[in-house]
Amino acid sequence: MKYYYITFRSVTFAQRGEKLLSAGGVRCTLQRTPRWMEEQGCGYALKLWSRDPAAAVALLKENRVPLRRVYVQGGDGQLEEMAL
Amino acid sequence: MIYLDNGATSLHKPAQVYRAVEQALRQCANPGRGGYGAAMEAARQVYGCREAAARLFDCLPEQVVLTANCTHGLNIAIASLVRPGGRVVVSGFEHNAVTRPLRALGADIRVAGRKLFDWEDTLARFDEALKPGVDAAVFTHVSNVFGYILPVEELAGMCVSRGIPFILDAAQSAGSLSLSLKKLGAAFIAMPGHKGLLGPQGTGLLLCAAPPKPLLFGGTGTASVEQQMPRELPERLEAGTLNVPGIAGLAAGLRFLRHRGVEAIFREEHRQAMDCARGLEKLGMEVFAGAHQAATVSFLPPMDCEEAAALLARQGVAVRAGLHCAPFAHESAGTLETGTVRVSFGYDASGDQTRGLLRAVSKWNLPGK
Repeated sequence: MKYYYITFRSVTFAQRGEKLLSAGGVRCTLQRTPRWMEEQGCGYALKLWSRDPAAAVALLKENRVPLRRVYVQGGDGQLEEMAL
Repeated sequence: MIYLDNGATSLHKPAQVYRAVEQALRQCANPGRGGYGAAMEAARQVYGCREAAARLFDCLPEQVVLTANCTHGLNIAIASLVRPGGRVVVSGFEHNAVTRPLRALGADIRVAGRKLFDWEDTLARFDEALKPGVDAAVFTHVSNVFGYILPVEELAGMCVSRGIPFILDAAQSAGSLSLSLKKLGAAFIAMPGHKGLLGPQGTGLLLCAAPPKPLLFGGTGTASVEQQMPRELPERLEAGTLNVPGIAGLAAGLRFLRHRGVEAIFREEHRQAMDCARGLEKLGMEVFAGAHQAATVSFLPPMDCEEAAALLARQGVAVRAGLHCAPFAHESAGTLETGTVRVSFGYDASGDQTRGLLRAVSKWNLPGK
């Protein structure tokens, strides 16, 4: 199972993203961003329980929710940044 | 006590406001500062308030900035639009929350429209004043002294068509009159949380459609390495720990208003204000009332205003007397020397309140009675 993480610069945008994705049927969890994932320090991420991060990213962009990056976590636990 | 000072603060809140404040005080840590349950619950409460406000005022949640009061929001808005020494057009009914920040910036203040309850005059004077070279316009939606509802949609249209950004002071209208940030085209709308929105004191909202300048600088819980304030709203304007219990109470007040309906609240407030004005006139008071009146009525008693308010307080009626922090409005109405007694209704306006006030005034031992 792969997990996807979308990072945000502010908790407010992460929360709006959470509401939009949940309303769109994308299961996600709001959490703090690991330090290494956010070079500017302290941010929030949505962990997606979905196999289709592109649809989630498209929904966020469509609703003008600024996002930072998308990461994928493979079965070995390693995280890798994805192109948006 | 008959409480008729809702223009200063709504004393009696809906039950859910008290509950929300206590619950947040017990269960919420610092929003945007941690990932554990109590911090996330605080963030949920804060975002819930932004969402409730966004629904009521037709904007996005991130355009809702949480402030300490309306004055705080107005200071941010004015500092964002007005250059030191810049020219600003204001109505003749502005509060010190508008005029003092403008004076502090050394603004060239042009006052437009000083006739009470006269939309034609207000619009004509603004039409003359809104010329090229004006940095911004600032006007109140409702005069805090006289309850005069200004023609804000027409004034907004005038500003938008001339490319002049404007700030709306919704201190006395938020929660009583419908407001849409999007439709109005305002750069900023500032409002208190503790009056018509029925939240606790120490809360306020600034709705932002223009890029704002922060007044406060500090931690936001995000992008901590950066030494400038974040570009994004609302964090750009929200340095330091937020008043989470107050915000949770404000959110409960906003939800109450949406459920009850702002129009329904205004209908009853307005009816009582008009009954009150007619009753006071019959009792020989000089009453300031007219078309385009909100839930506030000012009158001149046949004694000093402060004495009249003190007398009413002893009779169990709470009203406010004096200049109400709005010398511009009193200059416009010719009451700067006397002040006025102000009666202001709230969401719980009732005939009992009006009758109680009139009964108290009728008992005054006036010469010639």
